[in-house]
Amino acid sequence: MDQTNLSMKKKLAQEQLFAAYKPLAMTYDEYFAATGQAHPWTNTVVRHLESLGRDEFRQRARLASANFLEGGITFSVYSDNKGSERIFPFDPIPRVIDAKSWAHIDKGLKQRVEGLNCFLQDVYGAQKILKNNTIPREIILGSPVYRKEMQGIRPRKGNYIYIAGIDLIRDSDGTVRVLEDNVRVPSGVSYVLENRIVMKKAFPRLFERHQVEPVEDYPNRLRRVVCSAGSGRQSSMAVLTPGVFNSAYFEHSFLARRMGCDLVEGRDLVVKRKRVYAITTRGLKPLDAIYRRIDDDFLDPTVFRKDSLLGVPGLVEAYAKGNVTLANAIGNGVADDKAVYPFVPDIIRYYLGEEPILEQVPTYICDRKQDLSYTVENIHRLVVKAVNEAGGYGMLVGPKATRKEHQEFARKVRATPRNYIAQPLVELSACPTWTQRGPAPRRVDLRPFVLRGENTMVLSGGLTRVALVRGSYVVNSSQGGGSKDTWVLSGDGK
Amino acid sequence: MISRVAENAFWLSRYVERIESLARLLYVNTQFVLDVTIEDIQRWSPLVVVVGEEERFQKAIDKNQQDDEETVRSFLTWDRTNPSSIACSIESARENARIIRETISLEMWETLNGLWLWFSDPKAEKLYRADQYSFFRYIRDQCVLFNGFALDTMLQSEAFNFMRLGASLERTGQTARILDVKYHALGPTRGGIELPMEIAQWQAILRSCSAIEPYFKVSYGELSGIHVANFLLFDKHFPRSVTRSLDRAWNFMQLIRPRGHKEIGQQSAKILKSLIQEMSSLTMDDVMEKGLHKKLTWIVDSVTDVCRVITSDYFTAQMMEPNSKDGSL
Repeated sequence: MDQTNLSMKKKLAQEQLFAAYKPLAMTYDEYFAATGQAHPWTNTVVRHLESLGRDEFRQRARLASANFLEGGITFSVYSDNKGSERIFPFDPIPRVIDAKSWAHIDKGLKQRVEGLNCFLQDVYGAQKILKNNTIPREIILGSPVYRKEMQGIRPRKGNYIYIAGIDLIRDSDGTVRVLEDNVRVPSGVSYVLENRIVMKKAFPRLFERHQVEPVEDYPNRLRRVVCSAGSGRQSSMAVLTPGVFNSAYFEHSFLARRMGCDLVEGRDLVVKRKRVYAITTRGLKPLDAIYRRIDDDFLDPTVFRKDSLLGVPGLVEAYAKGNVTLANAIGNGVADDKAVYPFVPDIIRYYLGEEPILEQVPTYICDRKQDLSYTVENIHRLVVKAVNEAGGYGMLVGPKATRKEHQEFARKVRATPRNYIAQPLVELSACPTWTQRGPAPRRVDLRPFVLRGENTMVLSGGLTRVALVRGSYVVNSSQGGGSKDTWVLSGDGK
Repeated sequence: MISRVAENAFWLSRYVERIESLARLLYVNTQFVLDVTIEDIQRWSPLVVVVGEEERFQKAIDKNQQDDEETVRSFLTWDRTNPSSIACSIESARENARIIRETISLEMWETLNGLWLWFSDPKAEKLYRADQYSFFRYIRDQCVLFNGFALDTMLQSEAFNFMRLGASLERTGQTARILDVKYHALGPTRGGIELPMEIAQWQAILRSCSAIEPYFKVSYGELSGIHVANFLLFDKHFPRSVTRSLDRAWNFMQLIRPRGHKEIGQQSAKILKSLIQEMSSLTMDDVMEKGLHKKLTWIVDSVTDVCRVITSDYFTAQMMEPNSKDGSL
């Protein structure tokens, strides 16, 4: 290679990172305004990354990925029966949220989770909201995740939602909207913490120039909220996992480690005289609080699925007696059912007497005749979702699907309308994301984590998931999604 | 601690001990007796016997391949159908570590996960082809590093004690097995004057236990079967001798048993104690009289029994009633 060629290459290598970056049309960009100017709160990040140059950046990106593999920060994939492990792809360009936007989100999330908790207390208690006809009775009581066994059972301190993960998106004009609530067993928080650690290793100087809200205290706070409703004895808490074959096992193990508590499987527990005990090398040890990462269905074979080998016989009885905290409570699914989602603003108004702070996405309920025919007629421009599926499964993105797929899905919706809702396709905001050819806009969402105990706190930021595939709207890890470190800047961010 | 977790800890350290022991054995066997002629059949087949995989080996490997050095080495290193291979032991150790990741330290996890990643990478096989000494040494060193991290970074409480107990018992069995290589290679040991190839074999056995220099310190340079066996069975100070390993197992077992709860761990303590007593009442003459091979088999079987009783004492819940006061200890 001659000198000119070499210097050309060198020049290219040092070319400004964002020189060729073009925000997507009709889409809010997390880094740049429509004019092409960086937002005031992303300006310093952009300049710092530019100063590194491409080669340096690429090298650090590689370093970051290696970190995940070496640390065994992986998830198992169900689809191949070898049970192989993968890393959740990490994108090293952080997602940055300014203090003002975050204050709004923080307030809105606390309000929403409070409203949902009131709703659960009511649904499993007096059911005032149903008598009042704010929500159609059959939508609630007919929900497959409504647990009639829990009717009249009040969990300790009336707390149903200890941990919530509320999925947020930004639409084309930058408005934050709630896309989905997760108040059963939301996952992903370990990646928030690990992403931050890896990011700090790979880009230490970047943190010197910004005041980023810390995230490290989450496990400690989680422990406190889970223990808050019971005896308060921190030693008698455990994380309950389905086991090492679960795709989120890393997270279960991570949280147990950071909370300094035992990680148990169902077979490690027994119930005697309506109390829960762990089987230890020195006999039975009482447990007072369980952060469970097992779905309702599998918790207790004497009450729910009889074929469950993951659960603990008698656990529900101990819980009903108030002898153990389960976080989250049993039956929470009725609050994050996608068919209930359209009513959440009404739920907030009903219980809190306030206007909802956060917007959500307009939703058609296929169980309603009018909405059903609208959905079927307009299926090519709607996103249709099965109400009790997660992970991006059971979903049709109309504008991206073929005519044949439209017809097939419409047939399914007509067959069981209660199982579906439809929403207009929201142009999710995009964030610069590292690709083979440099940074390019990729769509993102955000899952903040809310802890509700004596007080409610929201972990600063949360998990930003990014659709790594060009043009994709699906951010789920099972469908080619990755994640980013998420920064909430303190004060003016300077 | 949670019984299941204790069991994983116990097994984790046993697998690591196994990996280390087999890596050392293969490393030494690849090098030794370059100056003495021993047939491949005498040199390599015994390894398959002492790891307890003779039957599987006979079935899986073509008859006329069975004496081949590389066939045996690869069977013990890479073969995933052989549960005693280094490949399977690394897999099991790493899986046990992953299950109890919350119990071991970050450094221990990173070491073992690193070994697992390295071993699964084509680079490892390339090194195996190019430079076997470095290959097996690397594996041995990572195991030692893991144990070093365990000692220096892990809470020295129950889980640690279970790990050390497991490692000590595993080591007892490994030393007995390695000592038995001589029998399977060259036949019984009777004392008296030995052939050069027997001497070479004893030297290799010492090296397989990293014992050569410690041995010479004690034997003042004399090298014979009886002296070597005496050293590896009865030396009180050498960390891999049977006696020393059993002593250590006993110490860790005492740490595990809660004070004031005599009934917990009673059976396993009893059986380990009687094994130790029997060992200490033995002399080298007794051993020779009954035959070294026979005695070594007895040690291996006794250790297996101890492990079985530990399992029923601690890992499978026997006492299913909460304790009287508040149910906790």
